[in-house]
Order: sequence, then structure tokens, then C-alpha cells
Amino acid sequence: MKNRVKVDQLALIYLLIITGGKFTSLPSLLAGDLGHDSWVSMCFSFLWDGVCLCFLLWAIKLNSKANLDISAILNRSVSKVVSKIVLAIFFVIFVLRTNILLTNCYQMFSVTFDVSTNWLVFILPIALLSFFAIQRGFNAIARASQLLFGIIFIALVALMVSPLMEADLAALAPVGEAGWGKILANSYTRSFWFSDYIFIYFVLDGVKVKKHVFTPILVSFGIGAALTVLINAVFVALFGSFAPDFSMAMSKIGVFSVANTTNGRWDWLTLAIWLLSVFIKMIVFIFCAYKCVEKILEKNFAKVNLFVALFITATLMLPMFVSTETLLSTFIVWALIPFTIVQYLLPLFMPLLTKVALKKTEVKHE
Amino acid sequence: MSNIKRVAILIVVVALVALVGESFNGSNILDRAIVLGIGIDATEDGLELTAEVVSPGNGTEQVGTFSKTVSVTARAIGEAMQRVAEKTGKEASLGQCVVLILGQDYYEQKDFSDTIEYFIKHDSFKESAVICCCEGTAKDLLNRGDALSQSVSLSVATALLDEAENVAIYTNNLLDFARSQSELHCTGFLNKVKFVPSENKDAQDPDKMQGFFSYSEMAIFRKNSYVCALNEEEVMGMALFFKDVTGDTYVCDDDGLLKTLKVNDKQIEQKLTDDGGMEINITLSVRFGRTDSEEVSGAITAKKDKEIAQKLLDDVQKQATELANKFLAKQAEYNFDLIKLHESYRRKQGTSSELANKPTADFPIKLTLKVEEN
Repeated sequence: MKNRVKVDQLALIYLLIITGGKFTSLPSLLAGDLGHDSWVSMCFSFLWDGVCLCFLLWAIKLNSKANLDISAILNRSVSKVVSKIVLAIFFVIFVLRTNILLTNCYQMFSVTFDVSTNWLVFILPIALLSFFAIQRGFNAIARASQLLFGIIFIALVALMVSPLMEADLAALAPVGEAGWGKILANSYTRSFWFSDYIFIYFVLDGVKVKKHVFTPILVSFGIGAALTVLINAVFVALFGSFAPDFSMAMSKIGVFSVANTTNGRWDWLTLAIWLLSVFIKMIVFIFCAYKCVEKILEKNFAKVNLFVALFITATLMLPMFVSTETLLSTFIVWALIPFTIVQYLLPLFMPLLTKVALKKTEVKHE
Repeated sequence: MSNIKRVAILIVVVALVALVGESFNGSNILDRAIVLGIGIDATEDGLELTAEVVSPGNGTEQVGTFSKTVSVTARAIGEAMQRVAEKTGKEASLGQCVVLILGQDYYEQKDFSDTIEYFIKHDSFKESAVICCCEGTAKDLLNRGDALSQSVSLSVATALLDEAENVAIYTNNLLDFARSQSELHCTGFLNKVKFVPSENKDAQDPDKMQGFFSYSEMAIFRKNSYVCALNEEEVMGMALFFKDVTGDTYVCDDDGLLKTLKVNDKQIEQKLTDDGGMEINITLSVRFGRTDSEEVSGAITAKKDKEIAQKLLDDVQKQATELANKFLAKQAEYNFDLIKLHESYRRKQGTSSELANKPTADFPIKLTLKVEEN
């Protein structure tokens, strides 16, 4: 991979990806499932994410010298067929998650900013931007994220402070009222929304690993998870029984940062800035989807391949035919097991698979 | 790259930019009627909605300086908002709306659940907007702008959002009210706004009505239907139970001199008791009400020597206890719960229909009120 990214850059982009997109429709879905216990379900999801992330980082550390990509690791450790199946599942996950993010953004634009357009024209600039980023390499995305990180983070904190003061977090008691079994089951059924580290699989060969791998990325993960849980808790504490009715959590939380009559709607400004993190997340996911196709086809295109680009753009038309609600309640439920395998089981085996692949690579060289 | 390729790419990019730019249908600000406040009154077969709007004009008009009211009748809120758009010729924009006022006939006679549902689920209406009720019609109230020489909506919202807590009036917003009507015991309150005329001494415009708004009363609701009203004393009594609400004054006789003491800080402790009730300990910190500025209070302030006699503090304690008991008696009589007795038990025991249906009078309350000099 050209222009390799530093671990610190990877940590920043990971933080943006965790917080981007989780404050749209997820909080209302979780509130609908579990009421005021939704934040507990999120904690469990992040806990499992943390465990998987540690294993994945261990694999990165093992892979730091050889710099094998995900396809090479899977090809050499399991088999080409299994590798292609895993990559195909990843492709579906990335495409679906991008579609859901796109739908949320589309809704947020039309609902909050009163700007509407047709789906095709909405996704076209995003797709073009994504393919431009692919052309420039992951390093370009990482640099752009690094540049925008400060302002996005300030906007996020600005959106948070006032609602945090307003919310009565004691209203989240008693903890576990929905039932611990139900909470745990929910963190599994909603797992599709988590495991944001999966993008790291596709930059395995592009990370410049020095001394510290675990610390920066785990710190980013900790901050991102804490912020996400906190915002979810604030949302549920503020909106109570109405939380399931508000599909655009961030746009609604932002309203409480403008309680006074004198300061207008500056929440719209901060919300627009925060949306940049959702765009970054979509670009990263489209990048990963492109890499999946590239590796399934066993090609390494020098430039962006027009056919692959058109194919991925075509998959982004899905919301024109199936609503996100239907998608979440049907296909994503049916596909939960294969998704769980690549999201949560694969990372646990990654160090082992990497070791096997490295061993086979050494033998090959000898 | 050849020149032909460069030109082709440029043409494609320009075409795409033009296509994307043309396809985004943003709303022109000149086509919007920005609603600052909404009043709703009852009619025989539906409702009358009055909106205070600011319509941005073009360069030759006075932009955003004046607001005007538009009244329409309809069967439901959604239809009424549509008629506002028809009447003004502009799409009504609710994103800047700061107040929702329910007229007396409307809130006393009707179940207004559909109205609350419309606004709480409205995409751009702020859940943090003020909601209140008024004496008489909301239409009349919103048309008092001339008497105040400023926007009624902004005056009411500013008073209830910013000032009320400093003059011992507890307030809530649309979200708080909507939640109070649908969760657990399903009771809540709205501040009642009253226009009080004052004498016009303006020689140049002697016929102009002048006055101010009073907010000292409240109306109680259960599931968006009217239950009863709280008078000024009961509202003061209620304010004692909320930590952030201060500014209440008590007049005491000090050997023939009437002295005013003002509450400028408050500590409240609540404990659930074994008999299924609540022990509430309130400590009021008072000072002589001499200055017109809000004094900084609390633990991190410069200490002053004590100057209030104990008998004055005892007098304040007696008056405040009476007010609090009046409020508690009314709460038990009409079975509403504004001090969150049910909610406190929910946080301990979890939600149950038994708890939700438990009458407020069945929660024994042990109130201890102390008064000290700040």
C-alpha cells in the first residue's frame, strides 16, 4: 500500500468513525428495545468490541514487519475460498452500513436543514469523493481526518455540554430493569452497528507500526466508546418514553444546546460540522468495500477501476428500493450469524491466522 | 494526459456540479414565514391557531423588525399549519418557535393530546420550547404586542426560560410537559400567563393599551386534560421543593418594622421512608431583600456577619411551611404529583402499573423546613 499511515493517524480516524454515525438512528432503536437501559446494552457491545480490538492490534503487531494484507493472511492461513467468502461478507457489511449512514444523512439534511434532493444526486458527490480518496490512497483520508479532527471534536463537545447539564442521569435507574438477558441479547442483535475496527483489516498492510500500537488506538477507542455511551445516556434521560420516536438523536439532543431565545440555532452549525465525521466514516467504508472487490478479484488496480466504482455506486442505490427499517428488520437479522463471524470471531483468531500466514511466508522465502 | 482528455474531464465535472447544484431544493429564506410563537384556542368544531410570525422581506422592506399575527381555524393542528401557509403565502417555519400557548377554553374543555403529539414529533419544532397556558384566549394574548412594545412570544419565553427561576416560579418546556402527561402518574403542570393592564401615561398616544404579563398561577393536567388550578400561594409552595428555584420573599414583623427576607439559596434532601413515603428536608438560606441585583450565594462566597434576628428566621420558617403544606394538601386532594414521588420510587423499584396508579395521598410525606441566614 502506498503512503502508509501512522498509528496515531489511525487512532484519530478510528475515534471519528466510532462517534460518527452512532448518534443518528441507533439511540432511538436501542431505546425502543430496552428503554432507559439502552446505554447498558451499548456498554456490553463496546466491551466485546474492546476485546476483539485487542486481538486485532496483537495481529497488527505480529504483522508489523511482513505487512501482509487481509487477503494474504486469509489465503495463506485458511484457503482462498474461505478468504473470498469472508471478503464477500465484509463487502456486504460495508455496503449496508454505508447505505444506512447515507439514509440517516439524507434524513438529517431534509429534516434538520430543510434541504432535499433526489437520492441519486445526493449519493453521487459522496461516491465521487470516496473514489477520489481511493485514488489518493488511505493516507489521504487519514490526513483529511487528522485535519478535521479538532473542529469535529469541538463541535461534538459543544453539542453535548448543555444537554448534559439538562439531563437528569439519575432517571436511568434502576439499572437492568429491562432484564439482563434481554440486554445481552440486544447487544448481540444490534451488533451490526458496532465493531467499527473492521476497517483496520483493510489497512493492515498500510500501517506504519513503531513502538506503540495498543496505547493510542485503545485510548481512542476508550474515548469514543465513553462519548457514545454518554450521549446515548443523555438522549434517553432527556427524552424518556419519547426516545424511540426520535430517529435523529443528535439533531434532537442539539436542541437543548439552544435553550435560550437569544442564541438562535447554532446547534445547526455544530451539527453540520459533526456530520463531517459521518462523511469520513462513509468514505472509509466505501474504501473498504472497494478493497474487498479488489481482493476478491485478486487484482491490484493502479487507478480506480471504473467498473468496480460503478458497481459500488450501484449498490448505494439500495435505499431507493428497500427502506432502511425493512433492511434492519429482515436481511440484517437473517445475516446476523455470518456478520458476527467476521465482526467478532475473526478478530479473536487474527493473531493465530497471522502467525500461520507469516510462517508460510517464511517457508516460501526459504 | 492529453488536452482532449483534460477538456472532457472538465466538461464532465462542470456538468456534474451544475446537476448537483440544481437538484438540491433548499428553501429560500424569503419564502419562509418564521413562526416565533403559536397560540391555540377552542372553536365549536375544532381549533383556532394564532401564529406570531416574522416574514423576512427583500431589500425594500423592513426586514425582521416587526412581527404580526395570523389566525386560522381548522379541525386539527396539521391542517391549521397548512392554512397558515395558505394565508401568508409562505411556508411556516417552526424551527425558531419559542413558545406554545394554550387558550383557556381550549385547555379547560379539550383533551389536547393530539396537539402535544403533533409538536413533540414535529421534525423542526424545538422540544426545549416553552409551553404555557393563558387566561382568556391565546389569540388575544399574542395580539398584546403593542401594549408591550415588543414580541409577545419572545417576552413570554424569556420570562419563563430565564427569569422565572429567580422569582420563585418553576417552569417546564414542551418535552418535560409531554413526558409528564404520558409517563408513570401522568400528571404535570403549565404556567398560566395573564395580561395585566396598566395605566397609560403616554400623552402622545393616550389610547394605546399598556400592561405586563403575570405568571404567578399554574394549571394542572392529567393525560393532557385539565385537572385544577394552583393559586399564587400554592405556586410559591410548590417552588420550595425545587432546588434551582429561588427568589421567594417573606415579609416579617420586626418590632413594628416590616422587613423583607429573600431566599437566595436552597438545599433539599429527599429520602424514601420505610412506610412508602418520603422525608423531605429543605434548608432555605435567606438575606434581607435590599438590593435589586441577584446576590451570589452558596458556599463559595465572602462571609458576612449575621444580621437577621432568630425570630425573623422562625417567622420565615412558619410562613414557608404553611405554603409548602398548602401545596402538598392540594396535590393530595387532586391526586397529582409535581414533586416526583412516583418517579423517586420508580428509580428504586422499577416501573409497575401498581406504582403508576398509586394515589399521591398514599405517600406519607414528612416535611422538615429550616431557615438560616446566608
